[in-house]
Amino acid sequence: MREKNKEIKINDEMKELVIARIEAQVPSNLSLSIGSSGRMSKEEMLEHINKGDEIGNRIIESHIRFLRAQSTGEVTRALVSAE
Amino acid sequence: MKKGLIITLPRHDDVTEYLSQFSKEIIEEANISDVPCKKLEDYDANRKNFEKVLEKTNYKLIVFNGHGTENSIGGYNDEPIIEEKVNEKILAERIVYARACDAACSLGMNSVKESNEGCFIGYELPFQFYCDKTWATNPLKDQVAPLFLNPSNVVAISILKGKIAREANDSSRKAILKNMRRVLRKSNADSLAIAEALWNNYEGQVLLGNENATL
Repeated sequence: MREKNKEIKINDEMKELVIARIEAQVPSNLSLSIGSSGRMSKEEMLEHINKGDEIGNRIIESHIRFLRAQSTGEVTRALVSAE
Repeated sequence: MKKGLIITLPRHDDVTEYLSQFSKEIIEEANISDVPCKKLEDYDANRKNFEKVLEKTNYKLIVFNGHGTENSIGGYNDEPIIEEKVNEKILAERIVYARACDAACSLGMNSVKESNEGCFIGYELPFQFYCDKTWATNPLKDQVAPLFLNPSNVVAISILKGKIAREANDSSRKAILKNMRRVLRKSNADSLAIAEALWNNYEGQVLLGNENATL
């Protein structure tokens, strides 16, 4: 069951962080496809996160995994390897 | 088993429409490489039809486009085409690429468990992509979606070109990283959001089973 997400226990701080990231980084012309819920606008992404439903949690998990990979240098190493 | 491709192209919502439209590149490569291709479009992308076509053609390469779960891969209207403990064994010994969320977690693992020759390339996480709403009715003009969908096409295209599964998977993941580099270099407002979703696909994409499988 989603081994890569096992270690992520979502808390309020994470939720607030991801909301701030989405508000700052996702322009209104973009929509995200994740899971079987179809395309989602920025507003719909935020709605899922605020509700704390499955889709919202998966968006949070995805952001947190990226932030962790950035902080451990995993992202940089991977990007360098693709040069 | 015969050299050939079966590809599902359900188009019942925006997401499956995008996946299906961007699959044209895979179908073109099959034509260029002289690999017979059977398309299961729209309603034809259902379990009964898939099983019938698989039995009749016995093609080795299968590309699924659709919504997925840890235990299933959906077709038209999200009706499962493949379900764990129901019919996943029909994938054994074949080369499968599932552009569908989560299907590598359990279904993919089980489909290759008793297989010596076959492999399953898919995602242990939800496959994600951003698209530009401006082009929702004309996906191929979208400049954002191909950042995600072109690297994923590399899996099937590489197999069609005669590469082994490991090379196909590696090339595809490398193409994701190249697109990450490209968007991060631009430093646009949306660069980090796009990079984050690309990283998700990079991290989630796995090859299970025989790494040396070829068409």
